[in-house]
Amino acid sequence: MVNEHNDILLMKGNEAIAHAAIRCGCDGYFGYPITPQSEILETLAVEKPWETTGMVVLQAESEVASINMIYGGGGSGKRVMTSSSSPGVALMQEGIAYMAGAEIPGLIVNVQRGGPGLGTIQPSQGDYFQATRGGGNGDYYVLVLAPSSVQEMADFVDLAFELAFKYRIPAMILSDGVVGQVMEKVVLPPFKPRRTEEEIERECPWASTGRKGGRPINVITSLELKPEAMEKHNLHLQEKYKTIRENEVRYEELQTEDADYLIVAFGSAARIAQKAISDLRQQDIHVGLLRPITLWPFPSQRICELSEKVKGILCFEINAGQMVEDVRLAVEGRTPVAHYGKMGGIVPTPDEVVDSLKSQLL
Amino acid sequence: MKTQDIISPENIVYQKPTLLNDNDMHYCPGCSHGVVHKLVAEVIEEMGATEKAIGVSPVGCAVFAYKYIDIDWQEAAHGRAPAIATAIKRLWPDRLVFTYQGDGDLACIGTAETIHALNRGENIAIIFINNAIYGMTGGQMAPTTLMGMKTATCPYGRQADLHGYPLKMTEVAATLEGTCYVTRQSVHTVAAIRRAKKAIRQAFENSINRRGSSLVEIVSTCSSGWKQSAVDANKWMEENMFKFYELGDLKNTVKE
Repeated sequence: MVNEHNDILLMKGNEAIAHAAIRCGCDGYFGYPITPQSEILETLAVEKPWETTGMVVLQAESEVASINMIYGGGGSGKRVMTSSSSPGVALMQEGIAYMAGAEIPGLIVNVQRGGPGLGTIQPSQGDYFQATRGGGNGDYYVLVLAPSSVQEMADFVDLAFELAFKYRIPAMILSDGVVGQVMEKVVLPPFKPRRTEEEIERECPWASTGRKGGRPINVITSLELKPEAMEKHNLHLQEKYKTIRENEVRYEELQTEDADYLIVAFGSAARIAQKAISDLRQQDIHVGLLRPITLWPFPSQRICELSEKVKGILCFEINAGQMVEDVRLAVEGRTPVAHYGKMGGIVPTPDEVVDSLKSQLL
Repeated sequence: MKTQDIISPENIVYQKPTLLNDNDMHYCPGCSHGVVHKLVAEVIEEMGATEKAIGVSPVGCAVFAYKYIDIDWQEAAHGRAPAIATAIKRLWPDRLVFTYQGDGDLACIGTAETIHALNRGENIAIIFINNAIYGMTGGQMAPTTLMGMKTATCPYGRQADLHGYPLKMTEVAATLEGTCYVTRQSVHTVAAIRRAKKAIRQAFENSINRRGSSLVEIVSTCSSGWKQSAVDANKWMEENMFKFYELGDLKNTVKE
């Protein structure tokens, strides 16, 4: 197995996800090939974790089947994951909604590419709305983590599983073609054994594992015909989402202490923004970065606080302007909010971000 | 002799399995689901597999199967039960994992999941209720609706040029390398019920013993969807359904 001594390694973000999964006690991966994330399944196939940790790896017949395998595995208390890219994740939305309704934990990795439709295989952040608004039918949220480096691709796998099981909620790593394909140095997470049957039965007393010892039956379902009971279940879900909003917001701030302007960017866009901020500061324009790490729950409170201090905010995303809506909701008109982004698989340069901030906000 | 004497424990020669609970079933009079539910419960009980059994219920009339048989269940999205069962069985290899699906669920919207789970040889059992109609939604055309048969969405009878042909999924399943046991049964007579029970038992044993995929089709009645009395529906099934969906084993690679 790779990296037994916690060495610094060089690898792609997609490969880091696969190695992290094997190392963090993941019980199963079910996926279908799609560019630009196929290295996740390919790496798992090469590593053969079924011979070491016992992790199941299966190439499914479709993304629809993959997400339902996550439903079945998570519903039986196992730490299971799938990965895909934008059109494939669109196909998974039915299963994700069912998981949210039935309160099934699980991990979905989306290495985004340009859309809509078949789109392109180049990077994009065009699935922000899909990821943060539930994506399927009904009132629900998915907990969304946005890595901006290969190291975070590795680190967020275990974090996503922990949060998914803590709240019985599907969790998503919303990456993109840049973070998935770029090679960077990474220290893989420490090895953690898969949970035993007894541990699963203790930690997931709700799971359908077979009714051992004649306990009451466990049923995984999102169905309820009586509207009063369905409303009650929805209120329970909303209460859970409120708890998550209060406790699980994650973000990173850089150089906001003396900032006159703020850039809000996530994932690979935040890396580009860092270079833009460095260039702007050389021109004596003091700009800071707020990088949401959780896209849902969104760091609205912190953006609201910062909006009192700055003369303007640039929301930089590799899309037509999606997260900017959440930024504007947080800012509530306290300061101007501009957007800069590109679509179709074009990744903007730091210079473009510099020019956009200067032309729109200065 | 009073009733109380007759039903005293020493006189009991037959009773419903304890796994089949007392919840009122939502199935219509004359529907085959009730009998098949009883057989599933009986087989699990007789195998002593209550603690090992995990069922996956479909979308369709059997969506509430979990309300009647006291084992652990997962309720699947429409057609996806074989994918869910695939993961459960691979992650819990010593469990008895089965799906319970209707014709619309298994042979239409879930065709891909069904064929690929069976073709991979997943160690699961599939109980396939074929009543040639969408019962739950009120009697629309199914992939298995017979030629000329009238339903809400083919009110003048199924025609090849308008609707295509009925699909024999069980025959398809028998051609797949991953299946070890493929059979078509019914529950219209006592003898047929006994044969169907034996088939379910073999399919469940195949799952526990990891011998490959098993498919047990039960040609069934839907008196409400067919708009017939319970007795007439049984007769119509014998005269029409069995001609197209012939009963018997299609494949059995398991050595006794």
